[in-house]
Amino acid sequence: MNAPVGHYQYDQIDRNFLQSRIEEFESQVQRRIDGTLTEDEFKPLRLMNGLYLQLHAYMLRIAIPYGILDSRQMRKLSDIAHRYDRDYGHFTTRQNIQFNWIRLEDTPAILRELADVDMHAIQTSGNCIRNVTSDEFAGAAADELVDPRVHAEILRQWSTLHPEFTFLPRKFKIAISGSPNDRVAARFHDIGILARPGVDGTVFRIFVGGGMGRTPIIGQEIFDAVPEDRLLATLEAIVRVYNAHGRRDNIYKARIKILVQAIGIEAYREAVEAELALMNPDHYRLTPETVAAIRARFAVPELVAPDNASEVLAQQRIADREFDLWVRSNTHEHRASGHIIAVVSMKPAGGIPGDATSVQMKRLADLADVHSFGELRITHLQNVVLGHVRQDRLHDLWLSLREVGLASANVGLIGDIVACPGLDYCALANSRSIPIAQKLGARFGNADLQAEIGALSINISGCINACGHHHAGNIGLLGVDKRGEEFFQITLGGRADQGAAIGSILGPALPEDDTVDAIARIVDCYLGKRTAGETFLDTLSRLGDVPFKDAAYEAV
Amino acid sequence: MKRPTRLSAGEKLVLTANRLLDGQIVWRDAFGQWLPQIRHAETYDAESAELALENAKHNAQRDGVVGVYEVAVQDGSAIEPVSVRERIRAHGPTVHPQFATEA
Ligand code: SF4
Repeated sequence: MNAPVGHYQYDQIDRNFLQSRIEEFESQVQRRIDGTLTEDEFKPLRLMNGLYLQLHAYMLRIAIPYGILDSRQMRKLSDIAHRYDRDYGHFTTRQNIQFNWIRLEDTPAILRELADVDMHAIQTSGNCIRNVTSDEFAGAAADELVDPRVHAEILRQWSTLHPEFTFLPRKFKIAISGSPNDRVAARFHDIGILARPGVDGTVFRIFVGGGMGRTPIIGQEIFDAVPEDRLLATLEAIVRVYNAHGRRDNIYKARIKILVQAIGIEAYREAVEAELALMNPDHYRLTPETVAAIRARFAVPELVAPDNASEVLAQQRIADREFDLWVRSNTHEHRASGHIIAVVSMKPAGGIPGDATSVQMKRLADLADVHSFGELRITHLQNVVLGHVRQDRLHDLWLSLREVGLASANVGLIGDIVACPGLDYCALANSRSIPIAQKLGARFGNADLQAEIGALSINISGCINACGHHHAGNIGLLGVDKRGEEFFQITLGGRADQGAAIGSILGPALPEDDTVDAIARIVDCYLGKRTAGETFLDTLSRLGDVPFKDAAYEAV
Repeated sequence: MKRPTRLSAGEKLVLTANRLLDGQIVWRDAFGQWLPQIRHAETYDAESAELALENAKHNAQRDGVVGVYEVAVQDGSAIEPVSVRERIRAHGPTVHPQFATEA
């Protein structure tokens, strides 16, 4: 087959490795079933292969490196959902997909099917470097300085099964972007990387020690401009210092953010520089030849559009108001003329954020073939992107999306709610996150209302692990357990972009329905007090949270 | 992790686990069988639960279950877990009523 547009094409070495890994896991599963392995012995082995035991069944989390899939991979996921699960899958906030109803005995067969399309479930669990995430508009956005996918792939190859980093103190997450508009939450990652052009090629600004969870911390810049040839050495040294000095005695203090806080960013930088001085630079040098060889395994889309493509789109927007509303919220400017980036919202009003049925997955694959060179991207906001759509065909795409219930015009708006699986599925949860997301989605479902409210993100986590990134939501909700009842703590002012901020707790936690009402009053308060052109965050920063607090708790 | 076994008035304990092969939630009946419906579960007071738990853990591999533990329930006309978490385990995810455990 030809190299896929958007992601690296496996070679025979990659495929042989996956086959032997599956054989190994198949024998481990067999030994678990016959009792040779106890659950305590088996658990770390299954987790290294993405298999969790959740509330109702086994859950298989499948890696989507830097969030990019081709249509045959999406079709395979659809097929797995249909044949091995309950006909749906769930896109996660780490650009992966998980299936919630998997049978242990089916898992080796599923992994074989995935390997047929160059996919696996490695690096989706355990205290290793997890699947690397990247900008969902990579290689397409007009505002991009450097396409980060080639380097994301290099990081994938460097980190996968890295022998030294397989048993880190805790899990380790890396995100990379090449745009000044941070769409990857770089400052909320263990390592966040922002690529930009330098005088002699690409350079990388690196943040360390960011994270969410129980102790949310914004990452700090450790290096401003690491040259390409030193990228892997630098990352290796950063992770080595963490591996050597990160705490292993207390799971809540084991992430790199705690170490960076404990010793300070200067001392951390010095430790990394000392480590670099001991390393053989030749061994870690990322040569232009290596970069070129990886780049060659990505196909480049031929972006040809008729001269009047933009005009056609403009006419269609005038003729169809509903379509125009969708274009406003669900598209992004493309670097190539006559093209546009389309974001398919997986957040229908009242639906489950990030869920897709097998039929929807298959349809998305078909639409990717027709409209975007067979390429799809999963976003950390749980949506799906078609990166290279011709402007004169955007209306056709929208009509097709409507047929399968995927044309919600709410990307970046209040209905674009991010929620973790919560207590309905997750064994660690304190409260459910999906029902309140559904209630909020339904409450603000009207597209005109959402457009009027403007940019406003809601993020919901079912426990302090913060998989729903509530700390970074403009409005964040954290589920807490109060004497066996589900309550929600509201935070305001979080954001994950270049102005990264952690939301502040507004007041006492409220029961679910009261929380929905409180958010409605917060939004009303904003609408009443905003000045022309102000977003929710603008008004909040101008007025502080007192008026919003008064509004939220007025009826309680 | 062993759940606390302090029981309030009207509360009893039942034993639960996941089936090894498919992960399905099961409850232990009076004959030591593991069944998907909580209504079949045998109820214990705190003391007798301890022995039953030990026994069930010992036989977990033979019985094809994993992660055996106790759950506090209200022992009224129907057995109903005290916590939201265990109610969701007993009856299925609230957001997918089509996957509710058959009563
Ligand atoms: S935030 Fe908590 S409840 Fe939600 S998925 Fe993560 S661990 Fe589970």
